[in-house]
Amino acid sequence: MAEKRKTEGAGRAPQGETPQRPPAEVVYAAELDALRKDDEGPRPPGWKLSPMAVRAFILGDPARKIRKKFVGNPSLVDRAMVALATNRGLMLVGEPGTAKSLLSELLSAAICGRSTLTIQGSAGTTDDQIKYSWNYALLLAEGPTQRALVPAPLHTGMRDGAIVRFEEITRCPLEIQDSLLAALSDRVLAIPEMEGEAAMLFAREGFNVIATANTRDLGVNEMSTALKRRFNFETVFPIPDFSVEMELVREETKRLLERSGVPHVPGPDVLELLVTTFRELRAGQTVDGQAMDRLSVPMSTAEAVSVAYAVGVRSHFLQQAEASPADLVECLIGAAIKTDAEDVARLRRYFEQRVSKGQGPHWRAYYEARHRLPGLARSPWRSTSSVSATTAPRVRGSSIRRSGAWRRASC
Amino acid sequence: MLIEGPCDMNDRLDELALPHELPVALFSYRQDAAGTQRATWSPFCDYSPEWVALRAARDVGATAIFVDLPSWDPAFDGEENRYSDRHARASDRLAELCARLGFEDTDAVWDHLFEQPEDEASRQPRLSRYFEALRGDEPGGSRDGPREDFMCRYVKWAMAEAGDRDVVLVCGGYHKPAIERAWASVQDGRPEPTPTEPGTRVGSYLVPFSFRRLDSFSGYASGMPSPGFYQALWDQGHDRAPEAMLFAAIRHLRAQKLRVSPADAIAASTLAHGLRALRGHDVLTRIDVLDGLAGALVKDALESPLPWTRRGTLSPRTEPLLAAIVAAFSGSKIGKLAPGTPRPPLVDDAFAELERARIPVTREKQRFVAVLTTPAGILSSSVLHRLRVLGIPGFVQTRAPSLARGKTELSEEWSVQHLLETDPALIEAAVYGATLEGAAAARLEERSRDATDVGVVADALVDAALCGIHALTARGLADIARLVATEPSFGSLGSALAKLLALRRGDLVLGERGRTELGAVIAACFDRGLWLFEGIQGPSAPLDEALVSAVRALRDVLRVGRPALDVDEERARAVCERRTHDPETPPALRGAALGLLWSRRDASVDAEPSDDDASRTVAVLRAVARPETFGDVLAGLFALAREQVIRAPVLLAMVDATVTGFLPQDFLVALPGLRQAFSYFPPRERLSIAEAVLALGHDGAPGVLHDPRTLLDARVDVDAVQRGAAIERAALALATRFGLCDALDGGDP
Repeated sequence: MAEKRKTEGAGRAPQGETPQRPPAEVVYAAELDALRKDDEGPRPPGWKLSPMAVRAFILGDPARKIRKKFVGNPSLVDRAMVALATNRGLMLVGEPGTAKSLLSELLSAAICGRSTLTIQGSAGTTDDQIKYSWNYALLLAEGPTQRALVPAPLHTGMRDGAIVRFEEITRCPLEIQDSLLAALSDRVLAIPEMEGEAAMLFAREGFNVIATANTRDLGVNEMSTALKRRFNFETVFPIPDFSVEMELVREETKRLLERSGVPHVPGPDVLELLVTTFRELRAGQTVDGQAMDRLSVPMSTAEAVSVAYAVGVRSHFLQQAEASPADLVECLIGAAIKTDAEDVARLRRYFEQRVSKGQGPHWRAYYEARHRLPGLARSPWRSTSSVSATTAPRVRGSSIRRSGAWRRASC
Repeated sequence: MLIEGPCDMNDRLDELALPHELPVALFSYRQDAAGTQRATWSPFCDYSPEWVALRAARDVGATAIFVDLPSWDPAFDGEENRYSDRHARASDRLAELCARLGFEDTDAVWDHLFEQPEDEASRQPRLSRYFEALRGDEPGGSRDGPREDFMCRYVKWAMAEAGDRDVVLVCGGYHKPAIERAWASVQDGRPEPTPTEPGTRVGSYLVPFSFRRLDSFSGYASGMPSPGFYQALWDQGHDRAPEAMLFAAIRHLRAQKLRVSPADAIAASTLAHGLRALRGHDVLTRIDVLDGLAGALVKDALESPLPWTRRGTLSPRTEPLLAAIVAAFSGSKIGKLAPGTPRPPLVDDAFAELERARIPVTREKQRFVAVLTTPAGILSSSVLHRLRVLGIPGFVQTRAPSLARGKTELSEEWSVQHLLETDPALIEAAVYGATLEGAAAARLEERSRDATDVGVVADALVDAALCGIHALTARGLADIARLVATEPSFGSLGSALAKLLALRRGDLVLGERGRTELGAVIAACFDRGLWLFEGIQGPSAPLDEALVSAVRALRDVLRVGRPALDVDEERARAVCERRTHDPETPPALRGAALGLLWSRRDASVDAEPSDDDASRTVAVLRAVARPETFGDVLAGLFALAREQVIRAPVLLAMVDATVTGFLPQDFLVALPGLRQAFSYFPPRERLSIAEAVLALGHDGAPGVLHDPRTLLDARVDVDAVQRGAAIERAALALATRFGLCDALDGGDP
């Protein structure tokens, strides 16, 4: 019940004190107003803005002083809007941290002025949280009336002709995912408890669903074909351009560091190392085209920003010096090695074979700081008898035990 | 009618007027005195502006003249397609324009701006403005400068000649602003191309071309994506073609057994039209249709962005569905030359070469033997191999040279026959070049470009050596390097590397023919090999000979070493050191890494192997001596450091002690691996190992074993051995029972 209240309550405009993270339609209210005012383009039924204005809102329009909010393929935004206008659901798939949710939020805020009709998919998501449930006190007192019905996002979205966002849809059980079928194909929600006309809720113009799914989770392969057919799939890729990503990381890091009272952003050398490392480990390919292993953790731009932030904080508060490549190595460990022990080997191999070939003193320093990585290599022509790698107990399983082993090894 | 085209063809424009089936291309080549070849294509299809201009000139009775430099001019060096728009695409202004209009690709921008139905009167000024903005005041540079200057002079000459008649120039839009600005001020007179240097052969001829080669998605340096789509646009018009192509693509997908339901087809069409409206197009453009198909049909996360969001070849991770769509838009049309088109010089060159090599070619099948120890034999072998590489029927190798002991035969046997199909095949092969050597080289380059693994590249390079081809182009080498960089299998990389090394050494069969730019390829393989070597995991993986051979190939590269090859020995050692100590390394590779270090250590200190090294190796071995993997570790070690092992008694003693120390059941576990490991030694060395083992002095061994040969070749029945062992066990048990064990030789049986 509490969950439902929260979902519903979030739909209201925030009152009183400023919320920690206001929704896009509040943050960009001024931009949306301005766009609405001089929007003369044709609007699909139920849309608050024309597709041209939505595109300007998302991709930016310097002439109208509208900030670019999504750094990605412009044609992706085109295809997404057309999918929504042609009454097919939109499925945004991609690696974690590629701004899928941001894009879905921006699209809903611009198209229907409201981005808060959100269903958060999880293993525990139930039908009630998607469609509707009942206020049991009223249900007992009055029977199944409109007053007793507690609408969930799908109900609200169909009733008001708004976009419903379904985050991480593939994390839901299949039968729960499939409860969207009728809403997407027939645009109708059956409420069997009610009688007469109220038993069928026909969606108003403007209703549609934007789902997101990340490729590292269960994936979209398990989705039923019936549901897949009702969605247009759009893959959101990491930022293709090095300099754009570099700039984004710099800007975002600067913003975060300022909030923490750190005046300096890590220097361009360190950021270049960081962004290059992230891009190469993410793509499984070096800048010069050598294929290599990808890490099992997603190396997203968002993660790069948080590493750069950590580097900035670390160097400012702990070292009280300018951020160095060594700081970066330290902070990288936490981001790159999460659950998979093999990532340690992959990262070490990356340092030994790729970083060692980098040009310039900062690459050199980066390479030399590799001993900070867990499980550093020893020379084989030294100390091979007593505690050799094979005779030492094989450490497998939890990363905590493993990190203990590293500490012993590096002592 | 002045047309941007090679002016050396002006006397032969009639050839272009023959009723060819397009696409055809004008193939131009230059072979300088040193034998370096260069080729440039000028492809024509129905909708090429140059082709349209030629036709229009004929229709109205105008004089058509090609006014550009010939393709062999140095201005075209490194340029494979005369009509590629490389220079224009490089412009920053175009990138800006793309970003502003919200397209990822410049071809999409062009379609958006200019491929909409519109009357010419309004299109022309916009085109002019576009190219003015694109060109700005950019100078022509070393490539476009001489060409534009040449065209300007032609324009001035033609204006003077024409009197009161009109002169039309058909050229790339990028050149237009520069020519307009400069033509009036250049020197007078009809320009002549710079004569070629003496000893240089040049020529141009028509060859059939294909849409696949025209398509920028298939990797040739061609100027346009999806020629099939634009052909449809040309044939059927704006209104019908895009829709027709959409359904053609769907039919193509269904033919490929990819499921596309009628609902999907409707969705694709709806989406395409939605995008058209959103982008403000009056009719569907190529990108609208492609985006519509992708949006409606893709039902999975993509691994690589949509192919049409950038120029260039398809990424290997492209979704098969998208690759099929791209292929459908590429079209499969293959051009055909009209009867009576002059035969390409390759046909005559091939027969001239055969004659020069004294290979008799008749309509009857003949046997021809090329003796590879004579220069004449090598020449004829090269010629025959070139024909083989080009797939010309009638030339089949029936016996390869053999180096097998006892029947060494350094000659090849061929079956040679002038078949009916021989000439047509040579005409088709002319697309690769004008001379037999050049065509074979181009064909081999194509083979390595289309290759999916390094093995194919190595074979192509071996073939290049057999054909006596000494130079690969920079692009060919770059293609190979790219392939090597993505090779996933250490084993196949190793076998390719071994082949290349043999080739580099120039072995007996290949002789001096095998000198190509192998160094760079070998260094790239080496680099990739180290990377792959480090990634192989599997502490209980069985011995994989291919992987061990790959490590050996890496070592052999180090033996050649610098300065001949640009390889970093330090890095190789560091990798091996890490592998030796990584518990996740497969045992055989661990041994191999150890062997590499040991064998290279000798080389680095340039001295006799020291006991020190041996004892270090022994220490590592001792640490990994477990029955189930010991044999594999040794196999890896022996494969790499056989000589060192033979000369290191301390190692043998350690192996002996370890094996002796195994419990009987452990010994049985270890036995197959050990057998395999020792099979790396030839019989003579095995004998000396046997002697060394006996010298270690196993007290109490039965006297008959003191002859080492019996250790290697025991002529005893297995059953007898089993019976003997059983009796021994029983005796020992009895002795132990009565407390007599010490009286025996103090230990295990």
